[in-house]
Amino acid sequence: MKSFPVRRNTLVLGATLLILAIFAWAGWANWEYRRQEAERLLANAAQGELVPAPGGGTPQYISPLDGKPAPAFALNDLSGNKVSLASYRGKAVLINFWATWCGPCRIETPWIVELRQKYAAQGFEVLGVDTEGDDLKPDDKAGWVKATAAAGKFVAEEKVPYPVLLDGDAISRDYGGLDSLPASFFVDRKGVVVAAQVGLTSESDIESKIEKALAN
Amino acid sequence: MLDVKKNLFAPMLVFAIGLAVAYGQGLSSNAQSRPLVKTDAVTYLFPEQVSVPAGKPSQVTLHFRIAQGLHINSHTPSDDFLIPTTFAIPEGSGVQLQSATYPAGTVMTLPIDPTTKLSVYTGEFIIQVRLVATAGNHLVQGKLHYQACDQNQCMPPKTITVAIDVIGK
Repeated sequence: MKSFPVRRNTLVLGATLLILAIFAWAGWANWEYRRQEAERLLANAAQGELVPAPGGGTPQYISPLDGKPAPAFALNDLSGNKVSLASYRGKAVLINFWATWCGPCRIETPWIVELRQKYAAQGFEVLGVDTEGDDLKPDDKAGWVKATAAAGKFVAEEKVPYPVLLDGDAISRDYGGLDSLPASFFVDRKGVVVAAQVGLTSESDIESKIEKALAN
Repeated sequence: MLDVKKNLFAPMLVFAIGLAVAYGQGLSSNAQSRPLVKTDAVTYLFPEQVSVPAGKPSQVTLHFRIAQGLHINSHTPSDDFLIPTTFAIPEGSGVQLQSATYPAGTVMTLPIDPTTKLSVYTGEFIIQVRLVATAGNHLVQGKLHYQACDQNQCMPPKTITVAIDVIGK
């Protein structure tokens, strides 16, 4: 009987260590899970980065999609017709993500309209992709009517002659997350992204990237 | 007495192990549902707690800070396509938002488009609200809706929670 307190103390100590070990395991498992989840999310929505241009010009956006096939998509245009990127294979395409609330998008749109006219005969097309960032649900009819009307108003005001697609949010992750707009991806005739730009640059910068897409 | 302790020991051990496992599982499921963390363009500064007379309109000044290099549209932006900054309190929180007074925006132009004048907030700004609280302690989850840009790009519109402990006395 005299040995009982020792045995009890051993049991208590053992149980305490066991509980601490379980807590440590739970913490480690949780940390490991978060690390893997963060890596997975980062891989799915790889972020580009802005790097200074040689000579101190406009910073260049380096996209993780550079040199890779442009992610495929098929979205409805303002008339409800499905438009796929694949149907433009053989043309150089500028995929221009914009939003009605985006001031810089409004500044660059007339440039893009002008450049589209200039290079259309060489096999160049623009796909405008409205990306409002409001995560509209597919069954939110009123929300879609409002979004379509707002996009249509923008297109009419800016006299946009190229297809404008809705629900860019559905494909934004494939294009690097698109944390800010405007965002443009320049795709060559083979469907490969040859240049990208996030944020407003200049008409000449956009033109040089269009020429690069046409040259490949 | 010793027997009681002995009898309690096993259930307590099982409970503690269960708690530890549940803790780990709970954290994991939280991590799974957590979206990508982004830095907010706007941060709510203070007050975290206010005491107001119950049932009477009371003025409270809310302080916010905008991240350096960014601006958000004022409550009355210069164009109708721009998203205004607004503050709201969800119904059923025990606190009613009677009115919100927003500061006038600062006029700003972008270097690339000097002809377009924007009405924006930068740095720190305040919103003066008139609240009516019922008696008691209410953890209000106010909502600030805004849309932020820098000189060349804009971020999607966002709503942040403005947590205020409102005590109606």
